[in-house]
Amino acid sequence: MARTISKLFACACATLFATGALAADWTPPGPIKLMIGFRAGGGADTQARLIAEALEENKGWKFIPEQVTGKGGINLAAALKDQPNDGTAIGMVVTETLGYNMAASNSGLTPQDFTGLTTTAGFQMGVVALSSKGWKSFDDVVAAAKGGAELRFGAMSPRLADLAYLVGKAQGVDFNIVSVRGGKGVMDGVNAGDLDLGFMAGIQAKGVAAGDLVNLASALSTPLVQTPDAPTFKDLGVEFNADGYFVFIGPAGMPAEARDALASAIAEIVADENSKAGGIVKKAFGGAATISGDELTALLDGDFANAGKLLEAASE
Amino acid sequence: MGASRSNLILGLLIVAFSLLLLFVWVPLDTETGLIEKVRRQVTIGDALAPTVAGLFLLIGGTILVLFERKAPQQPTVGLSSLGFIGAVALVLIVSLFAMRYAGPALVAIANLASDTPQEYRLLRDAIPWKYTGYFLGGSAMLVGLISLVEGRIRAVTVAVAIAAVVVLIILYDLPFDDLLLPPNGDV
Amino acid sequence: MGTLDYVWLGVQAVFQGPEAFSVLGLGISITLVMILSGFLLGIAVGATPGLAGPIAMAIALPILISTFGYTPDALLPVMGFLIGVMKGATVGGAVPAILFNTPGTPDAFMTTLDGYPMTKKGQAKKALRVAHFSSVSGDTFSDIVLFVCAPFLALLVESYLDLPEKTALLILSLSFIAAVIGGSPAKGLISVGLGLLAVFIGTGEDFYPRLSMGTPQLSQGFPIATAILGILIVSAVFKELEDLWVEKRRSGKIELTSQSGDQRLHMADIRRLFPYIARSSVIGTAIGALPGIGSTLAATLGYTIGRGRYEKRKGADDPDFGEGAPEGVASTEAANSSVSGANLIPVLSLGIPGNAAAVFLILAAESIGGFNPGPSVFRFTADTVNPELVVAFGLFTSMFIANVLNWTIGGVFMRSMGVMVRVPKQFLLPIVLLLTLTAVYVQEARMAAIWFTLGFGVLGYFMRSVGISPLPFVIAFILGGKLEESARQAFSATGGDPFFLFNNPIALAFMLLSVGVIVVTARNARKAE
Repeated sequence: MARTISKLFACACATLFATGALAADWTPPGPIKLMIGFRAGGGADTQARLIAEALEENKGWKFIPEQVTGKGGINLAAALKDQPNDGTAIGMVVTETLGYNMAASNSGLTPQDFTGLTTTAGFQMGVVALSSKGWKSFDDVVAAAKGGAELRFGAMSPRLADLAYLVGKAQGVDFNIVSVRGGKGVMDGVNAGDLDLGFMAGIQAKGVAAGDLVNLASALSTPLVQTPDAPTFKDLGVEFNADGYFVFIGPAGMPAEARDALASAIAEIVADENSKAGGIVKKAFGGAATISGDELTALLDGDFANAGKLLEAASE
Repeated sequence: MGASRSNLILGLLIVAFSLLLLFVWVPLDTETGLIEKVRRQVTIGDALAPTVAGLFLLIGGTILVLFERKAPQQPTVGLSSLGFIGAVALVLIVSLFAMRYAGPALVAIANLASDTPQEYRLLRDAIPWKYTGYFLGGSAMLVGLISLVEGRIRAVTVAVAIAAVVVLIILYDLPFDDLLLPPNGDV
Repeated sequence: MGTLDYVWLGVQAVFQGPEAFSVLGLGISITLVMILSGFLLGIAVGATPGLAGPIAMAIALPILISTFGYTPDALLPVMGFLIGVMKGATVGGAVPAILFNTPGTPDAFMTTLDGYPMTKKGQAKKALRVAHFSSVSGDTFSDIVLFVCAPFLALLVESYLDLPEKTALLILSLSFIAAVIGGSPAKGLISVGLGLLAVFIGTGEDFYPRLSMGTPQLSQGFPIATAILGILIVSAVFKELEDLWVEKRRSGKIELTSQSGDQRLHMADIRRLFPYIARSSVIGTAIGALPGIGSTLAATLGYTIGRGRYEKRKGADDPDFGEGAPEGVASTEAANSSVSGANLIPVLSLGIPGNAAAVFLILAAESIGGFNPGPSVFRFTADTVNPELVVAFGLFTSMFIANVLNWTIGGVFMRSMGVMVRVPKQFLLPIVLLLTLTAVYVQEARMAAIWFTLGFGVLGYFMRSVGISPLPFVIAFILGGKLEESARQAFSATGGDPFFLFNNPIALAFMLLSVGVIVVTARNARKAE
């Protein structure tokens, strides 16, 4: 009886006070399963593991990281969906998983099956080529293609392949679009001469700085930090872009205090450039970009809804 | 030995399987065909690679039936082999089920005597709960296999099995915080 | 900055890095300590049946990175450790293959063919000495080639191989493997077909995981560890257990082989083995330098070519290959060990790995940053220091140090791992099985992975029972993904040209060779009847 009363009291408190206050008190009821949708050892995986490590140190929460890779994050999403939603199971994917990939797959998953926690960082998605090709801008690429060169355009996801197709279409040229595994795969292909140009999501920074690679265009809605002069896809006549973030998600219906506690803890770590996790985010992805709460929900729902238009445009 | 027909039987089985693969499994269980057209470009579909695998099997099986049917020194598969692998499979299945469900079962029993019910999932990182399944299942597997081969159960077998499982726990669980012993990743 | 200046900077980077401790006022750099620890761990792990270098690297990498952080200073200690593990595991891998007939890696499979019969004949120690000597010789040779040729050879090879040629080369590797291993091209093709089928389940480009029959368990595909460990190790454990079981039922007891006779390696032995080691080293080095082709093909080729030579020259009383010929062990070990050095040529200059160990080196470089494997590594800048080139020469120095360790203390440490031969097999084999299953689980963290491993074990057991070699299965499993990927890419890159494998001379030559090798061996097999 005493327990029932105290439970009732707790519920009353939850409605009385702002969730922020409770989020500060929230502790996970057990170890947290952290599903990582990226291959072990890569930049994204390292980011996830370091965030977990920092949270273990700062908050005393216990994390158990686990790789669930493949199918552009759909495998992870399918596995995470049926996990308990008390904050003991979360996953890290990219926003593209909940947007384009869910819309394009017939897995039946939608963003409504998940709770968005927070994004951590965006991509510096550029169209990149070897500088030894002699191309200074995207116009040179178009000129080369119009001059009869058959150009191979590497893309690491179906969404990017659609964008590559559309940018070609807008400029009146045909690219041979080659699907490649991961940004590293694109970079290997470009370096080895197997590809003429391709998408890279930040991995190109060092090569561009050294002068080996050149950012020909920004696939984002905004110019690239490193090469602000490169045209955006909008400048090139494409109404879509490759904007995207790394994002932590949980199963649908996660209690607000768990959601807020996890989101603010993660955001705090990546925003701190002196932490190991914040350091790698700064180094590899140009700094933290944390979107959470309703803003994130709107972003994910919007991406999912807009994916249909891109799919349609690319199938014409 | 010369009279063994194992190559012929094997070849026919492989041919049958490859036909099933090529004409039933692959067409029904892939999303795109051998090639498909997307973005005005012809690309290779998801069915092509398994079809190539099926062709390897079909060609291999056919060569076996047509040309290597009478090859010398064909192995024979006896009934005793099947019996042995069946017994091994039984030991493994029983011990792996013990590994998977011993922990949750123990928690359920503990809950009978306590009025704060607990969940194994939330205890999977807590000593001693996290070792129950691996310890019981692992020991059962070792005792089962060793005793099967020796034809008897000895006290020393049990002792060795328990010692080995403890060493493996020390090897994998103590130094590495993030590694999970079976079955703690599933719960 | 001349070449020699860079070499010297690289050597300094290893010896004068941050100090671990000092002996008699002489600072011992942390990199040296890490190379030594990696090396000893590598031998121990390689010598433990069921474990292999990549598993140790996979587990160690996150720990190392957490320990050393993300500064360029971390590169040499971490990669030095991984190089130590790689070299140690290469020699250590021969131990279980020779003593227990359970290869820890696909490369070591060929070592079992003669190494294990030598153990049965009571020459285990000698077999280990032959393996160590050949392995280290091959490795050292290959490293020297790496140091000398890396900048030139890599760019040369790559400039001739485009996507279609790479696809054709993978097809050639598969058909060669199918034809050569096991003596029956039909069974080789079946083994390759099954391996390809297994790797194609749950993978593919579409969002629907193909051939998964809609089950979530299959939708992630079979993890590579389940297939390799299941087909090679678990099936071998089942087979060995069955032999013990049969033996026990027949005679009522289980025999232990006693080791006897001259176990040393004499100068005369070395002279006899040398031609085999030399050939295999060249083969292994050449194969290692080609991106994407691993040490397993090298071991197979080295063994096959060694067998060809041996059959012409052996004395009447000498054992055949496959019956315990030291030359067989030497040919295999020299070939697979000489791959690892040369393998770093495409890794360092193009960022393309040829084996699992190289994959982990790349992962380490990528995670830490400050070293970007690719053509920029070998830019010899005149006025500024190219820090990546310094790291590259630092890695060469680390490899050289690991070789010195290998020549001096490696053999003794490796043979000391042989104490396991005294452990009764009916105890050891089930423990190896549990260790293997646990190793799979800690990597995959789901029970399904254990069931897959056991399923592959049973499949491998039946394959062995009907005389199908499991090795082509494993190679097909490893190369299958690359094959599909490069075929898709080549097809797209050529604008959907259906004849992309046949309309350029190099690819065409590879394709003709692929068909030729099957036809020739099939015909030879018929003649032999």
